[in-house]
Amino acid sequence: MATYDNKIWLLKNIRDAFIATDDTGLCEIVMAGEDFSKIFQNKALEEKKCLRERRLMQPGTSRAKEGIGDISEEENEREIVTQYDPYPDLDDSEEDDPIYPGSSYVRNEDGGPRYRTNTTIWLDKKEQALKKAAKIKIIKWEEPTTPLTTEQVTEYFSKLEIAKPEKHKSLLAEQIKNCPDLPHRQYLEYAKFDGTAQLGMPTKSFKIFMTMLPEKHQNYPLVVCVIANAKIKDLIGFTCYKYSIEHPEIILGSVHEYGLCIAEDDGEVDWAFPCLDANEPCSKFGFTCLGLIELKHRAVVCPASIPIPEDGISGAFHVFSKVVDSGQSNQNPSRHNTGGSQTSEAVLSALKAINEDKRASGDKELSKLQSHILATEAPQYKAYKVHLLRKVRTNTSVQVGISLDRIEIEPLVTHKHAFWSRSKYFIHSIDSVAWCQILEAKANKTTFRIVYSPSHNATFHDRNSTGNQTFFQPNQTYKVHDFECEHDVAKEIVDRINTILDLRNSPCRREYKAAKERKLQTRRSFHTKHIS
Amino acid sequence: MAGDSIGGGSQVALVTGGYDHTIKLWQAHSGVCLRTMQHPESQVNGLEISPNGQRVAACGYQHIRMYDLASANPDPVINFEGITKNVSRVGFQKNGTWMYTGGEDCTARIWDPRAQPQTRCQKIFQVQAPVNAVMLHPDQTQIMVGDQSGIIHLWDLRTDQNEQLIPEAEASIQDIAIDPSGKVMAAVNNKGNCYVWALGDSPHPVPRHHIPAHTKYALRCKFSLDSTLLVTTSGDCSAKVWRAGEWSLVRELRHDSQRWVWDAAFTVDSRYLFTGSSDSYARLWDVEKGTLEREYCGHQKAITALAFKDQAV
Repeated sequence: MATYDNKIWLLKNIRDAFIATDDTGLCEIVMAGEDFSKIFQNKALEEKKCLRERRLMQPGTSRAKEGIGDISEEENEREIVTQYDPYPDLDDSEEDDPIYPGSSYVRNEDGGPRYRTNTTIWLDKKEQALKKAAKIKIIKWEEPTTPLTTEQVTEYFSKLEIAKPEKHKSLLAEQIKNCPDLPHRQYLEYAKFDGTAQLGMPTKSFKIFMTMLPEKHQNYPLVVCVIANAKIKDLIGFTCYKYSIEHPEIILGSVHEYGLCIAEDDGEVDWAFPCLDANEPCSKFGFTCLGLIELKHRAVVCPASIPIPEDGISGAFHVFSKVVDSGQSNQNPSRHNTGGSQTSEAVLSALKAINEDKRASGDKELSKLQSHILATEAPQYKAYKVHLLRKVRTNTSVQVGISLDRIEIEPLVTHKHAFWSRSKYFIHSIDSVAWCQILEAKANKTTFRIVYSPSHNATFHDRNSTGNQTFFQPNQTYKVHDFECEHDVAKEIVDRINTILDLRNSPCRREYKAAKERKLQTRRSFHTKHIS
Repeated sequence: MAGDSIGGGSQVALVTGGYDHTIKLWQAHSGVCLRTMQHPESQVNGLEISPNGQRVAACGYQHIRMYDLASANPDPVINFEGITKNVSRVGFQKNGTWMYTGGEDCTARIWDPRAQPQTRCQKIFQVQAPVNAVMLHPDQTQIMVGDQSGIIHLWDLRTDQNEQLIPEAEASIQDIAIDPSGKVMAAVNNKGNCYVWALGDSPHPVPRHHIPAHTKYALRCKFSLDSTLLVTTSGDCSAKVWRAGEWSLVRELRHDSQRWVWDAAFTVDSRYLFTGSSDSYARLWDVEKGTLEREYCGHQKAITALAFKDQAV
């Protein structure tokens, strides 16, 4: 048993000792309250600073005069003991740091607290309960000892006149009249899976991307919290319920039309995996980011029609026939033997359309463009075998198909049983591709990069695209694919894509170019500023 | 959905509570749950919105709690303590001066939520059996206390004297209702019978009518604000609406999935009726048409109490 008269030391010791069985409750107050030791530590630092300054101001007593001016500032600081230091000579470092016997009274200036997990959590809970309780007024029943006086009785229990009942119009009736059936009603049965404000019931939160909706409605994921034993189908139902409350203008389909797939943080669905089993409880799955998809869309990966570009090449043209996905492998059967340069009907029709357009407008510019296309044959569909570079996983062999409308990246090898090496099938509308350039020419290989913007895929209603990394971010996100192949092939691909990009001159490309230009400008100005 | 704040003072508010230890505030016309309040350690036996519409009182096992309706606080703002058993009903004096409760500790109590204990006007009324129902007379001077032994005590708050009514032997009184004009009193019992008395004309209640309302346990009875309708709810999975005066059945409200109907409330125009059921759904019925207008889903377990505050326009 020892007695201490330094209250700061005591406060610090109580906090560090994690006393949890103190019946007086005082220790709890100290622990749950503000960290005095930190406050005092800061005060001590301040005071030390003041003292040091004062010492320096008094040259007569300063150490500098005594020839110990070379003592480092830090050590100098340690030697100053203030009233806020809890027994500096008895500090816990004495026992904690036996390796440094010379610095027995040197305390850690950073004041890094010990890592307290369970205790901290327990204390936090306790503190919150205390705070909560402090806000609640408590009225205890007290047995009335003295009967109420007649004044009190007449004051509290006087007879009130009963007002004659009047015929009222109900505000609720009016609201009901103005609010006919609401879309969320069809999902009402799922409302009971709401996990928010559940007491003593395990819950689980998910970020759900409404990937089955048009792109403009899926910027933000819907955060839903359901009770942990809700099944995946209940989670789908509750997501529809919550979404239709928040967006009553958007009509969703039946719960059975949707499935939940694993998605990445940015909302891109990983199509390599099947939908989560609708009958399994959601607590079984560790994923928190999910994409709500339309089940019928799983069957048809590629959309049938391509929207008409806005940049002058008008005319409706269907490019490729409807492509049906064969299960999960995302192989595209109509593409397998398109290694050579064949002019697809679509391109022909596109060119025809351009010709007609030209004839109609007599635009010389377009004529030039057209001859350029014809010269390079850029708009023709052509596929190349290259390697897709990945940051983490091994590089995969893919086939890059380039046409006037889109770029497809199709994995050539599929290890059906090894999920980690499974690659995805990407398809990008050409209007979402912003840039293409050669990155590096190595001894026998050249790497090149395609920059694309997922948000510009909107009109393409394509949900397959995904990217490796965020590349450039002025206003929107750009993503990249990096490839590797032989010099000539790389050059041909880059030239081809750039020709098409220049031809299309899509808003995405213009934005990207402008952003790049701006970035260069700022860099330049930064540079010149620094030089001057 | 716009134009309706979170059930604040002047707005329409529907509050439900039950076995899942939560109290939910609903946007009555859309059926969307606006907020969930915590009612830990107990089910909710009764709910009552304060006369100014700002707060809701909930009673349960050993607890009477008051919640703020206008704020987003999920915790109570006032806890009333000192009761060891179930509190079955709670109500307010018309001006909100005091609150009254009845419970299984065989008492009815007057609570005064004001701060100073010295000036509190607490009152207690002891009976011989657990209290199932308390109902304040519209003139605010009398509380009808219905107990499990089947006695209705007419507790005069000014004199503390009481008078007893025993409508049926060996039947527990489940609920008592007095019409807003103070002319009629109705009580239901565990045999499903409803008894009606005339009040006011003579100094004592005059038995007027007996309705064999339900074949099973009756749970609640309530008059509409214009005193023209009476609703009785029951363990027979129905709520029945009766025309006051003639005591004829206007509407029997049933639904395939509806189970015990624990509580009910009318809108001010007596056109719509809310019910809360063991199937965890609250429902809104059009009494005239007998149609189901809205359903309120979100509770995990049975809804045993509801309170509704309408706004006259």
